[in-house]
Amino acid sequence: MKIKGNYKFKADQQTVWDLFNSQESLARNLPGCESLLETEPGKYDAVVTIGVAGIKGTYEGKVELAEPDPPNFYRLVGEGGGKPGFVKGEAAIKFSTDGQNTVVDYNADVQIGGLIAGVGQRMLGGISKMMLGQFFKKMAKELKS
Amino acid sequence: MKPATFDYILPQNVEEVIELLEQHEDDAKILAGGQSLIPLMNFRLARPKILIDINKIPSLSEIKEEGDQLLIGALTRENEAMNSALVMEHCPVFSKAISKIGHSTIRNRGTVGGSVVHCDPSAELPVVSRVLNAQMRVIGTEGERIIEAEDFFVTYLTSALEPSEILLEVRLPKLEKGCGWSFVEISRRAGDFAIVAVAVVLMTDKKGVCTEVRIALGGVDDRPIRAEEAENYLVGKVADETVFESAAKLATEDLDPESDYHASGEYRQHMAEVLVVKGLKEALVRTKGDL
Amino acid sequence: MTEKQSEKWVGKSLKRTEDNRLLIGKGTFVDDIRLPNCKHAAILRSPYAHAVIKGIDVSEAAALEGVRGILTGEDVAKMSSPFPCGVTIPTKYYSCAIDKVRFVGEPVAVVVADDRYIAEDALDLIQVDYEPLEVVVDIEETVKPEAPVLHENIGSNIYNHRFFKYGDMDKAFEEADFVLKEKYKFPKYGSTPIETYAVVASYNLISEDFTIYSNYQGPFVNHALVSIALGIPENKMRWIVPADVGGGFGTKTGMYPYIALITLAAKKTGMTVKWIEDRREHLLASATGTDRVTFLEAAFKNDGRMIGLKDKVMDNTGGYIRAPEPGCAYRSTGNHTGAYQIRNLEREVMVVGTNKCLTAPNRGYGCQELYFPLERMMDKAAKHLEMDPADIRFANMIQPDQFPYTTATGGIYDAGDYPRGLKKALEILDYKKMREMQKEARAEGRFIGIGIATVIDPSVTNIAYVTIGKTIEERGNEKPKSGSGDSCIVKIDPLGSITVIATTNPQGQGHETVISQIVADEFGVDPSEIKVVNTIDTNSSYYTITTGSFSSRFASVGTTAVVIACKRVKEKLFKLAAHILEVDPDQLEFKNKIFTVKGKPEASIQMRHVAGSAHWNHSSLPDGMDVGLYGSACYSMPTSKPPDEEDRVDSSNTYGFIAEVIALEIDPKSCEIKFLKWASVHDAGTILNPMLVEGQVMGSVAHALGGSLYEEFAYDENGQCLTASFMDYLVPTAMEIPKIDIDHIVVPSPFTALGSKGAGESSTMSIPPAIGNAIADALSPLGIEITELPMTPNKIWHLIKQSQT
Repeated sequence: MKIKGNYKFKADQQTVWDLFNSQESLARNLPGCESLLETEPGKYDAVVTIGVAGIKGTYEGKVELAEPDPPNFYRLVGEGGGKPGFVKGEAAIKFSTDGQNTVVDYNADVQIGGLIAGVGQRMLGGISKMMLGQFFKKMAKELKS
Repeated sequence: MKPATFDYILPQNVEEVIELLEQHEDDAKILAGGQSLIPLMNFRLARPKILIDINKIPSLSEIKEEGDQLLIGALTRENEAMNSALVMEHCPVFSKAISKIGHSTIRNRGTVGGSVVHCDPSAELPVVSRVLNAQMRVIGTEGERIIEAEDFFVTYLTSALEPSEILLEVRLPKLEKGCGWSFVEISRRAGDFAIVAVAVVLMTDKKGVCTEVRIALGGVDDRPIRAEEAENYLVGKVADETVFESAAKLATEDLDPESDYHASGEYRQHMAEVLVVKGLKEALVRTKGDL
Repeated sequence: MTEKQSEKWVGKSLKRTEDNRLLIGKGTFVDDIRLPNCKHAAILRSPYAHAVIKGIDVSEAAALEGVRGILTGEDVAKMSSPFPCGVTIPTKYYSCAIDKVRFVGEPVAVVVADDRYIAEDALDLIQVDYEPLEVVVDIEETVKPEAPVLHENIGSNIYNHRFFKYGDMDKAFEEADFVLKEKYKFPKYGSTPIETYAVVASYNLISEDFTIYSNYQGPFVNHALVSIALGIPENKMRWIVPADVGGGFGTKTGMYPYIALITLAAKKTGMTVKWIEDRREHLLASATGTDRVTFLEAAFKNDGRMIGLKDKVMDNTGGYIRAPEPGCAYRSTGNHTGAYQIRNLEREVMVVGTNKCLTAPNRGYGCQELYFPLERMMDKAAKHLEMDPADIRFANMIQPDQFPYTTATGGIYDAGDYPRGLKKALEILDYKKMREMQKEARAEGRFIGIGIATVIDPSVTNIAYVTIGKTIEERGNEKPKSGSGDSCIVKIDPLGSITVIATTNPQGQGHETVISQIVADEFGVDPSEIKVVNTIDTNSSYYTITTGSFSSRFASVGTTAVVIACKRVKEKLFKLAAHILEVDPDQLEFKNKIFTVKGKPEASIQMRHVAGSAHWNHSSLPDGMDVGLYGSACYSMPTSKPPDEEDRVDSSNTYGFIAEVIALEIDPKSCEIKFLKWASVHDAGTILNPMLVEGQVMGSVAHALGGSLYEEFAYDENGQCLTASFMDYLVPTAMEIPKIDIDHIVVPSPFTALGSKGAGESSTMSIPPAIGNAIADALSPLGIEITELPMTPNKIWHLIKQSQT
């Protein structure tokens, strides 16, 4: 499934770029992230527990900030498996300046497989978008503080 | 499709429930009708460690009237609420909405509270709760409070309840005499989840001018929504097909519903417009006491 | 061949003998079989559509309390060989994934535990290291050189590929007044029987043999295939099918790999293992019909006759090919030209693989896939000629005086009157009036459509048809196959009661009832006096490789076997009665269970005394006559022959006819369909029990309506199945089934004992084309072509929107 969107941050591009490359920030704000351990620069082992309401699953996998072109672009690549199935995705993330603000454009391709794909197709698209939205909201909140 | 292991507790009163919720937090789930929860557990999509069965708690399944409101206990079975004389007289749109939920056997067990708290964006009770400006009376560790419908449905499967809060009752404002109403939806098969659902409450004066309009839509966003722009447009205008069509456009032109395997976002947006017109027309007929 | 006597039971709507026990919950289904110390299996299934299995770690799962053992692909590879399949490619299909998974839901391991809950807990603890591979789900993409290859040892995703020529297609193109071309797609859907797959298997260490209960529906050739796969002689594996099965519809012909899998789990663990498939497993990984892409080029004359048909079909059997595929593409060989006189054909047939669930015969097996394009093409030509779609069919039909009619592809149509059938359907619909109403409605901007389909309903499979997947040279290297045998034993006890031991393998069709009607007629008794035993036990039942309930064979060959067995018993009764009464057998009358010498009413003997003599007094029997009273038949239709050197084969043995005429309206706003009137006329030959036939027709309507408007096994581009529950796989409910006017014409088959033809598959074949035609007719003012199914409101709305830009 393809998810596109953008988010405006009230900060300069370098600050936003740093935020999106900070392991602590990512670990704090990636939906359901329980641990994010760097194995190599830009590569992490991740454990994430996500879902909505009672339908939560724990996924273990990898996250990579690939093809970095600071402070303009990177590709966020992730995959994880768990009991409800597996998730694989990549998002092309572009950073650009708009006056005093930074616009973060994301163009994501998410694959969901296993049990949840088979019985949850009605809401998966919407829920995925919602979670991506939550991630950006949390990042923006962190910037404010 | 067998659930994962869980502990089962049968509390005798609401205080016990709140204690249990506070103690176990995310590990516990409330079992009411079980019509959404048990299939999720059987699929192992939900794996609560503790199941708190509230079906034996007295006083959670009464239907009462109090002034200009109907109070429906959270544990009231959907069929009971649907067939209740009080509901049919004072809030018939609520009864109609329930009639669209699944099949009768499901409604014999499913509860009003359970469906409301489940917050499925295509479900009927959240939509009709929004159109009625229902109030949810909830109780938790901080005591009781009222949550308005517009704040209650947060997003997919997520309500505004705090982790150790439980819904006690749904309060429905009685519809005024002469009030028109409708609940229309489209689904693939009888009893299926709605692709789009629309609920309307409409009042007109003797000249047929709209004095009050409320339009709620489900299946078009991550929660039921109210078409406020369309509602404001209609107030003060003579109710007829032309203004209904304009209102329907206003209500739906900015929608961006999700696509899924059964219906594209564009089809949903189109059907939302069609159903708003249909809903308004049906509601108008009811103001004249004809349906 | 039907006798015209009064008070016959055949032809009556006798209430079913099965119903009482079913209604009070006293049926015997596989799950009712409770063996001592029985354990329960759960299957770990692949979440990936295409992946390499790098490793499986079952240690944590095996240590869970209550787990009795775990079977993995590694075990299966050691304990079994691949299942044989009728193709020349080196296909390797086991009951479990070994080194790769090729569709979501493919079994990867089996856990045996004290109960199903624990078994599923253990599944959670199994770690599988998958390396995902690129996925292909589209039929046309999978044959392109850049497509990911599913089976490295095959090298491409083409499982079977053949060319056929009949008559002279080139000449037909030359002589044609016009040629029409179109591409059609047919969806992947199934029949979702209410009872899912069920197996109880055990291995006896002392006698080294297996006992397996299951709800298998035949054909029993798969007993041989499983024996080969397990490397054991057939008499070391006992299959038992109880009397009650909750529906098969072809889906249960595909369960033999699971029989093998659970059997291996029983052998490895030394336990009796029960596996009851749950619905999610069933929707993911049991068996569906094939999806198909068809390219048609049809040559027509201006009078509407189709004089030549060129087609390329691409059938998708999913991640693997397994028997009886490539039958999907060849089952309909004999009736390829339907009800029409088309003598010139050119065919390219491909059976391909993609990363989707596997297939098996699905009620209609190959015929709805065949008729949807053929009937759409007829309508397309009618539109081109501005001819009524009914008239173009009359112009093409085989005429009543041409029977038995051999088709260009070798089908031998036994009997029929197709023009009468279509006329009747048109009458029932009040066709002329409907067309007038349509005209008026169109002027108002309403979308009303009338769709016609006239199809041939083939029944009784001749197993020879599968071999046509191989060329003449390839067939020459093997022993030929042919036949359609079904068996029956009739016996009369020492006190004169009649028992029928049938092996027709029913799954709810009511065979017991119909058999009791037939035997009651043969012996002049009441059906309630007949005991019908209809379970299968390979240790003791009289069966053969074609035994089973599939391709609507019971009404034709099954009943013929029953009649022949009865006649053999009667022959012996007559001989013995004559011997006792000291006359010739032809001097005897048999009525009300009494043998009387013609013209001498005082010279008589009761049937039960004749039976008694046969058992109790051997010395009273004529020389050479066996003791007892026992008649058996294992009858195969004489037209079941191997394919000839022109690739012609009578793929079925009796051919019914269906005229489906449907009037519907499409709501211009919601694009929902409302049925206005619906006529369904069937020729199933002699009708054995009208109530049961009507039930079959209604059931086929529900299945076909599903495939036409609601059901589809949908996959995303990663091969994830999106319809793995009944929330999204939309089986029509009673609310969706419209009122249908069913009627019959009876043109008895000269090939069966009672003149009956099959009625099991019925309108599954005619409804998808008729609905497709009706929707196309409704939308024809907008110039919309309908070339695929299911036609959902969402799809129709988008088509209309597209046509307006």
